[in-house]
Amino acid sequence: MGKKNVISATICLVAALTIATVTGKNFMDVKAPDTLHPSANVTETKMLSDYFGDLKGTNSDTPIYVFKGSKPGGSMLILGGTHPNEPAGYLAAVAFLENVKVDQGTVYVIPRACNSGFTNNDAQEASPQYLHFTNKNGQERQFRYGSRAANPVDQWPDPDVYIHAGSGQQLSGSETRNLNRCYPGRPDGNLMEKTAYAIVQLIKNEGVDLTFDLHESSPEYPVNDATVAHEKCMDFAAEGMLELQMEGINMSLEPSPTNLHGLTHRELGDYTNTYPILMEAPNASQGRLRGATNEEMALTGKDKFYVSAAKLGFVYVPYDENGHPIEERVGRHLQGIIEYTKAFSSIHSDKPVSFENVPGYEEMFTDTDPSQLGGPHFGSFLN
Amino acid sequence: MIITLIYRAIVALVLIFTIWNLFTEKKVALQANAALVVIPLILRFLMIK
Amino acid sequence: MCIELIIFIAMVAVFAAGCFWLKLPVSISMVISAIVGALIGGQGIPIRHLVEGTFSYVDTILVIACAMIFMKVLQENGSLDALSCMIVERFHKVPALLLCLIMLVIMFPGMITGSSTAAVLSAGSIMMPVLILMGIPKLETGCIIAMGGILGMIAPPVNIPAMLIGGGVDLPYVGFEGPLALLTFPLAFLFVLMFGFKYVKHLDYEAIRQKMNTESREKYGFRNYIPILVCVFLMILNKAVPAIPDLGMPLVFLISAIVGLFTGKKVPVLKTAKEAINTVLPVLGILMGVGMFIQIMTLTGVRGFIVNVCLSIPDAWRYLAMAISIPLFGAVSSYGASSVLGVPFLLAFLAKNQVITAAAISLIASLGDMMPPTALAGIFAAQVVGVKKYTDILKKCLVPAIIMLVWATIIIVFSPQLAKII
Repeated sequence: MGKKNVISATICLVAALTIATVTGKNFMDVKAPDTLHPSANVTETKMLSDYFGDLKGTNSDTPIYVFKGSKPGGSMLILGGTHPNEPAGYLAAVAFLENVKVDQGTVYVIPRACNSGFTNNDAQEASPQYLHFTNKNGQERQFRYGSRAANPVDQWPDPDVYIHAGSGQQLSGSETRNLNRCYPGRPDGNLMEKTAYAIVQLIKNEGVDLTFDLHESSPEYPVNDATVAHEKCMDFAAEGMLELQMEGINMSLEPSPTNLHGLTHRELGDYTNTYPILMEAPNASQGRLRGATNEEMALTGKDKFYVSAAKLGFVYVPYDENGHPIEERVGRHLQGIIEYTKAFSSIHSDKPVSFENVPGYEEMFTDTDPSQLGGPHFGSFLN
Repeated sequence: MIITLIYRAIVALVLIFTIWNLFTEKKVALQANAALVVIPLILRFLMIK
Repeated sequence: MCIELIIFIAMVAVFAAGCFWLKLPVSISMVISAIVGALIGGQGIPIRHLVEGTFSYVDTILVIACAMIFMKVLQENGSLDALSCMIVERFHKVPALLLCLIMLVIMFPGMITGSSTAAVLSAGSIMMPVLILMGIPKLETGCIIAMGGILGMIAPPVNIPAMLIGGGVDLPYVGFEGPLALLTFPLAFLFVLMFGFKYVKHLDYEAIRQKMNTESREKYGFRNYIPILVCVFLMILNKAVPAIPDLGMPLVFLISAIVGLFTGKKVPVLKTAKEAINTVLPVLGILMGVGMFIQIMTLTGVRGFIVNVCLSIPDAWRYLAMAISIPLFGAVSSYGASSVLGVPFLLAFLAKNQVITAAAISLIASLGDMMPPTALAGIFAAQVVGVKKYTDILKKCLVPAIIMLVWATIIIVFSPQLAKII
């Protein structure tokens, strides 16, 4: 080993360590949870580990905001951030909890259901790390844009093949970190199975009647602008969907496939007494056809490649130069929650849930100055 | 989980041999190649990423 | 010309200049081209993105490194020599059958793990001396191992590309066994006979026996095979009994390598492990470079541009576009190509049978492991047999690759009819 050799080797190693230090700090910084400001009507803040102690001290423990109405009634759970790379799913839950006043029944909101995924970004997806807004007081708020599944360091290594515990269904190994393939979960499973198990315990212990799981999907994915519901939800879901359509929201209603396991709309319906509903909105920033990936795309949904793909018939949602701004996607979810809850409460009159002050589709999107879409208008609903 | 600890040990093993090769490699370009491999290994060993 | 095309051309040009003009390692050329792509795309030098991109391959790095340690231990302790002697002695009278059996053995680790690298480096390296002893030249032996590796990756029961493609459209991995068997086994037997049969038609066993290194076999007997049996047992264990937690390929290879230290000739542990890592470092570096390259392609919109161009080709040409673009993109990795291009193409062929089409697309995607600069199956097959230029193996595999593309296309075209039979 020559001296020159050692010098160049040392330089290379120091360079590698420097890069690892700089990027390592950045990767550590994104693990800090976003600060949320629930509305003054919040009655209690719990943690998911309150329902399953094994989660305590892990990256999967996450806050649950509880809103109790003055009148007794049914109970409802909103799961945001099941997939942390689907921002409208997370931000709809945030907008809900920062504005809601519950009149009847109890509402539980978990804005970051897959908290671990918020501490990471998917390799080779070039996702933005944060989304920024100015709130109603003129202050800056920032929210994490995370990875689809849990952070690999929280549950490593992945198996070659992920076998769903309840059904024996086989999926690629990385799906073992996908919370929405792990339901109903198991207490002695991996972190995501434990997380799913904890959510199931919450539903069982609190007797949650109605559960919403808020998602986004890429525009080329066939299930889009859609509600997927367990077969037992069909009566009130059909009524809610008609209301949504009358309000100008293009929404389809699909029954949960019986042969696809591990998802909320299948397993929560099968294993608990809750009525599970999953909603999808179009998100270009997670799609395979998208152009340059950045915060602006995630917020405005504007993308020239999706416009041309739509002309060729490759996408399942209308797509033009206006994109699908975050206000439209969040507004769809919030209006969906409003309408499905109303329909549920009218059919299941023994367990009604009612709330107010949640911005709907019109307030969030259609009645808005188009120049304020893509972030500014959404920010005005944040505390 | 014990399996995670075992895999961290495997990463450490590969990392050590990579750094050893970095120092015995004569060509600077190949040293840089080895240094490239060191970056993700060290971040995974520390469970940062 | 759109900005994405300009960036793509610049990235490819810088990569080519780095490799061929400046004679830099492939990995370093890819890093530089990724940086240039980011600069043209107005992203500066996005260190976080460059490093983040490499994390797609951390698990792959461990599989490759541990598989190579296993292989070097088997070489050093004499297990490989012993196994070759035993196989040739038992089967030399039926050479065609022997070749087909060897092909199945090469494919086996790929079938169980869904990784061509695992197949090439483990069973490929174990079968290499047998094929060479039988008189098949190094180059053809390399081709057999490479094709065995990628067909093993696609053959049932485990096919990760098909799972990735199916996962993109919520298609459960159910009912894939038949189509995958039809797609892979006929081709595997065809290719092994294509490459090897003419050399083994008239096998001269006596001449071969002279060349065999029987020392290990005579001295250690059955003990020689224990590390290989341990490896096979551990690979199957979790698949057969899902209740047992998956050890993962790296650990399986390491355990088997450790067992190998005690079953044959004495192995200099540190030297062997260091040599093993030294052998795979160029490939590990390439994977890092590719990770950075693809992350910048995604960041700047080049990835989306490529997917759009492929999809916007008229219907009649779409098969051709798929047959060319998926293997080309597979240069990044066959898994990456399955997810990024396989899913949109499956959606574009919605009128066909989904399971059979997804299975056939996965076969096309497997060719990504023969596409430079990564060409994992080609590079490792060359290393296993000791061929200096892995591109020689790629050239020789061109005809089988075309046969694979044609076979996959036929199966997609006739998938509605096939669905009724399979």
